[in-house]
Amino acid sequence: MFKKKKRESIGVQIIKQLNEIVCDAVKSATWLAYRKAAGQIRELLKSGAAKLQTSVKAAFLSSFTVDPLVDFAVVEAAAHSIELQPYIAPYGQFNQELLNPQSELYRASPQLTFLLIEAELLLASDAIDEQTQSSVLSRLQGLVDAFLKNSTGVLVINTFPACPSWPLQVLPDQCRILIEKLNAGIIERYQNHPRIQILDLDALVAYAGCQNAMSPQMMSMARIPFSEAFLGLLARRIISHIIATLGLARKCLVLDCDNTLWGGIIGEDGLDGIQIGHDSPGREYLEFQKTILELYEQGVILAINSKNNYDDVMQVLNEHPQMLLREKHFASILVNWDPKPQNMQKIAEQINIGLDTMVFIDDNPAERQLMRQSLPQVEMLEMPADPSLFARTLRETSFFARVYLTEEDKNRGQIYAAQRQREQFQQSCATLEDFLKSLEMVVSIRHAGKDDIKRVAQLTQRTNQFNLTNRRYTEADIAAMSQNPAWRIYVLGLKDKFGDSGTVGLALVGIQPKKWRIDTFLMSCRVIGRQVEDAMVDRICRDAAKTGCISISAEYISSAKNNLVAGFWDKMGFEKENADAKQVRYSKQLKNYQSPQFVYLKIV
Amino acid sequence: MIKDRLEIIFRQSFEIEKFTEDLSIDNVLGWDSMAHVGLILALQKEFAISIPSADALELTSVKGIVQYIQGRSAQKDSLR
Repeated sequence: MFKKKKRESIGVQIIKQLNEIVCDAVKSATWLAYRKAAGQIRELLKSGAAKLQTSVKAAFLSSFTVDPLVDFAVVEAAAHSIELQPYIAPYGQFNQELLNPQSELYRASPQLTFLLIEAELLLASDAIDEQTQSSVLSRLQGLVDAFLKNSTGVLVINTFPACPSWPLQVLPDQCRILIEKLNAGIIERYQNHPRIQILDLDALVAYAGCQNAMSPQMMSMARIPFSEAFLGLLARRIISHIIATLGLARKCLVLDCDNTLWGGIIGEDGLDGIQIGHDSPGREYLEFQKTILELYEQGVILAINSKNNYDDVMQVLNEHPQMLLREKHFASILVNWDPKPQNMQKIAEQINIGLDTMVFIDDNPAERQLMRQSLPQVEMLEMPADPSLFARTLRETSFFARVYLTEEDKNRGQIYAAQRQREQFQQSCATLEDFLKSLEMVVSIRHAGKDDIKRVAQLTQRTNQFNLTNRRYTEADIAAMSQNPAWRIYVLGLKDKFGDSGTVGLALVGIQPKKWRIDTFLMSCRVIGRQVEDAMVDRICRDAAKTGCISISAEYISSAKNNLVAGFWDKMGFEKENADAKQVRYSKQLKNYQSPQFVYLKIV
Repeated sequence: MIKDRLEIIFRQSFEIEKFTEDLSIDNVLGWDSMAHVGLILALQKEFAISIPSADALELTSVKGIVQYIQGRSAQKDSLR
């Protein structure tokens, strides 16, 4: 651990410097401070002194002055270790930029394009009347169609704030009613589109409150409809779209216990003394647990990292009548008196995920400080002192932002519970062979259908260890591949006596006559060591041989995390074609191809 | 007092070395028409006043800002 720390020290220093810039801006919370910080961040990144984990190209097209919003977004992105490279279309040019295939927008080839417009701007006249809905929707459709034709990226469009125009008037507010209808039309038409996301500005403005969000003064001074404070919130929502699109959402939420999941200290106050339940004090913790449970239902893995007696905490989880969170919700429970960073590494090993996919919540600032210093990869959620604000603080983070939920997400909790059982079972088996044999595994390999596209994109984005090339694809990329006869998308499902693990394997294969190329080959970390990968390779080879293909090529591209599979293609009988250890090319001749025997698997 | 509070705002917003009354839109790097809007917002927040746009256009130097805010506080006091 210490060695590793030393190697990271330069990186950590610059991250500290970046953190300071970000913190200063956040503290003063003015746009000018954000503007200054954005400038400093750009300098720091341009000089090459600092490099953030991810960089993203995003375009901003808008009907209002968007520069201040972009300043906020650049800083918020840096706070999430994302370098935001913005393209800002000239003021008021969103129509031309979208409609002209040769525009600067398309030349910049952004991964995300934010089209932020006011409803009035899509109308021929100023009045919002009965024809509004169809007229706005059809103009919007024209812009969307042009975008889909000319770009391969994602388009983010907004709904329109349905602010009361006469808050104290008794008459029905026709304008608001129309805008609400319009918004419903936008949501109905574009939700679930693989390349269009909806930034529900109406909901965001409602959340902040129209009076706080909209600013006539900003409108008159700078042609910006929003207040300074709302620009900050809107920027954070923009970061959520970026995190969700690039698949950067954190996977695991790790929780402390005392004064985090419940009020009081179990070791001192006892089962009857801690605060959790419908009465106050205790209600705020119940609300917080409810929020955590919602995340669990969205597929976030939960774990506990607490300094306590193990039995005390288990008693609360299993016996306290008011607890919402129970033992079954946690994939890993580390309760002991060891330093928390050490426990954190154990949790990462147990669940088999990276530290940089974890978020930690602890009420104790000293523990947070220690974690930040020892394991800066772990994201820390700064909690307010008042526990009644815990739930809201968690709800206002971008860490877990997702565009969609797959079946695997919805069942992830049970899948991890089954994994715990499997591990206990493995310990009771004498040999690995016994274990694999008695698992009664059933493997199904099929071509991806329409319903698989989301999961396939997710697998390419989230799999790090058993991933031979680490190529990341968006849902839009995969949707395009699935329509293209030059690609085959193989997915692998696995069931065993403990349950259905869902879709856990993927191969993206480029098809040319007589020559196939394995572009992407990956397995979920849950099934590592179960030999199902052999079945996938065999299936590809058999299919290729059947179509008269002569040889298959494959690659291993080394990353920080995929050392596990460095010798994978050698093991599968592929031959090395070059000596570059970072990027190894392989091929396999298919003449007289023979399938291996599968002893442990039933393949359907 | 007003000047100290102004200095904090200016240091948060611009990269300046010395803070003096002579700083103005002509000699502070980054104090452009866009930043001017931000500055007016920051002043409103810090001194809890609202600045009409006609006034905002005039506030182009530290000296001018100090005088303006003094004037506005005097107004407030007399209303009390």
